[in-house]
Amino acid sequence: MSRDWLVTHRPSRRELLAAGAIFATGALAGCKRDLRPRVCVARAASYAVDLEPILRAAFREVGLTPGMVSGKRILLKPNLVETASGEGHINTHPEVVRAAAKALAALGAAEVLVGEGPGHRRDTVLVLEESGLAQILVDEKLRFVDLNRQRGFAVANVGRRSGLVRLTLPVVLSEIDWIVSLAKLKTHHWTGATLAMKNLFGLMPGSYYGWPKNVLHYAGLQESILDINATVRPQLAIVDGIVGMEGDGPILGTAKPAGVLVVGTNLPAVDATAARVMGIDPARIRYLADAAGWLGPIAEDAIHQVGESLASVLTPFQLVDRIPAHKALLDKESGAGY
Amino acid sequence: MSAALLDPSTPVLLESLAHRALPDGSALARPGETEAAMEATVWRALALRLGGAANAASSRNASAAVARQQAADGRVSVSDLHPGAYSPTSIAILAWHGSPEFEDARRRAVAFLLAQRGDHFPRSAASPVTVDTELAGWPWIERTFSWAEPTAMALLALDSADEGDHPRAREGRAVLLDRQIATGGWNYGNSRVFGSDLRPAPESTGLVLAALAGHTPATKVGASLQYLEAFAPAMRTPLALGWALLAWSAWRGAAAPFAATAIHETLARESRYGSYESADLALLAVAAAAPRGLLAALRESA
Repeated sequence: MSRDWLVTHRPSRRELLAAGAIFATGALAGCKRDLRPRVCVARAASYAVDLEPILRAAFREVGLTPGMVSGKRILLKPNLVETASGEGHINTHPEVVRAAAKALAALGAAEVLVGEGPGHRRDTVLVLEESGLAQILVDEKLRFVDLNRQRGFAVANVGRRSGLVRLTLPVVLSEIDWIVSLAKLKTHHWTGATLAMKNLFGLMPGSYYGWPKNVLHYAGLQESILDINATVRPQLAIVDGIVGMEGDGPILGTAKPAGVLVVGTNLPAVDATAARVMGIDPARIRYLADAAGWLGPIAEDAIHQVGESLASVLTPFQLVDRIPAHKALLDKESGAGY
Repeated sequence: MSAALLDPSTPVLLESLAHRALPDGSALARPGETEAAMEATVWRALALRLGGAANAASSRNASAAVARQQAADGRVSVSDLHPGAYSPTSIAILAWHGSPEFEDARRRAVAFLLAQRGDHFPRSAASPVTVDTELAGWPWIERTFSWAEPTAMALLALDSADEGDHPRAREGRAVLLDRQIATGGWNYGNSRVFGSDLRPAPESTGLVLAALAGHTPATKVGASLQYLEAFAPAMRTPLALGWALLAWSAWRGAAAPFAATAIHETLARESRYGSYESADLALLAVAAAAPRGLLAALRESA
C-alpha cells in the first residue's frame, strides 16, 4: 500500500512541534532560505481559456517539480455537492479537473484518477452527468471512483479534535500516493467558507457516514474537517475561484466571478489565501484558526504568496447577516469562529 | 409472477449480476473487486427474489448469504466493522419476503427495525432548518438524525411485513411528508434552510414516493408526483431510473410506458462509467420485474 502511513504512522508531539517551528521560523524576516509554504494566486479569466498552462506555471511557482510528481498515482478530489441546471458555480468546474489532470500527467504522474463522495446525492453517476464532469472523464480517459460506496478501511484518527477515535476511509486511498483537493471558492452557511480543507469531507464514504455525512456533523463539523486533514494529509490543493459562490453557499448562493485559481501544497495556507481573495479574514474561520501552527500557517506573513498580488484580485464575497457563521465573519468585535 | 411475464431486461440484468456473484451467494460491488459487499449482496438477493422460478436456487443462495451476516439483534449492517450502518436491514426484509426458510430472520429484522428511532429532539424557534425535529424516522447510521431515504426504505420493508399501520410506520410517513419540498420532491431530507427552499433530487424523490404509495392521498404529494412525471422519462442512470420506475408503477398500477427504452438505453451507457454498482443494477432488475410496484410484485411472487 502506497499510503500505508495512514495505518501505521501517527506523528509524535515532537514532529508536530517541529512542523510548527518550521512555520514560525519561515515567518521570521531575514531568513536565508524562505521556508514558508508557497501559495500561488493565478489569474484565469474564464473556463474557456486553456487552464493547463496556467496550472503548470502555478505548480512551478509553488515548487512542484517533475521529480516530486513522477511515478505518483494521484487522486483528484473535486467538489461535487449536488447540481442544478445552469448553476455551474456549485461545483468545481470540469475544465479545472481536466486541466489539473493534464498538468499532473505532464509532470510524470503514473496515473491520475478522480474520486468524490457527494454529500447530498446518492446517484453519483447522475451528478457526474449533470455537472458536465462525465464527458471530461470520457474525453480524458480518467477513471472515476464513487467514494461514497467504496469499501472502507479504518485508521486511527490522527487529529483527535472530534470524539472519533478512528476514521473509515475509502480503500482507494490506500492505493494512491497523492490526494489533490480540487475545491471551489464558496461561502458556506455552517462554516463560513468552504475551500480545500472542507472539500475533503467528500472523501468520507456515505455508506459509513450517511447522506449527509451526519456522523461527522454529530462529531463536530469544524473538528471533523481538522481530523480528516490531519489524517489523510493531502499533498496539493487547487481552489477554483474562476467563478465562485457568494451569499447562502455552498448550494443556494449566487455566482461570483473572481477570476483566480489558488494553488499550493499546504492546505491551511491555501485556504487562508483564498479566504483573503474573498475579503474574509481567515482567522475568523474557526477550523482555519484551529489549524494554524498545527496543520499549516494562516497568517499572511507566514505564507510566501506568489503570482498575483492579493490586492489586485481582492473580490469581496457577499455574506449573509442572518447566517450565524457569516455574522461571525462580519462582526469585527467577535472572536474567531462560529 | 412467472419468468415468462418478466420484462425482457430482467434476465439480462440478472445474468450481468451473476458474473459479480461469489459461490456462497454474496456479490461484489463492482466487477474486479475481491471482497463481497453487503449492499450488492442484499440487492441482488431481492432482484433474484422477483426473478421467477428459474432463479429460485440462486435466490435461496443469495438470501442465505444475507442471513449469515445477520446480527443477533436482527440487524444487517454494511460491514462487521460498522454495525451502526444498518440500512441493508430494510432490503433484507424485502428479499426474505415469502420464504419460509428465512421467516425467522425476517421477523427478527422487522423487530429490530421497529425498535429503531432516528435521533430526535425538541424544535427550536431559532433553528435555521424547518423540519420537525421531534419526529423520528430512520437514520443512515445508528444514533444520528432521521433522513428521507433510510426512512423510505424502512417503510417499504415494514409495509411488506404487514406493519404498514404500525405507529412507527405512521410516524415515518409523517417524517417524509414533513421533509417534502414545497415545490415538489425530496432530497436527502432537508426542505428549507435559512429561509430558502432546497432542491429535490430524482433518486430521493422516486424512493420516497414509492414508499408513500398506498398510504398517502395523491393530493398530499401532488407537486412531487408532477416532478416525478417531469424527470422520470429522462433518467438514464440506474439508481434514479430504478426508483422513478418503482414510484411510477406504485402510483399508477402499471409500468411506465418509457420503461423498456429507458432501461435499455441506461444499460447501453454503462461502459461510459466503467461499470455500474451491482446494487444499482439489481435495483433496475427489481424495477423491471415490478410493473405494478415493488410490494405488489412481492405479493404476486409469494
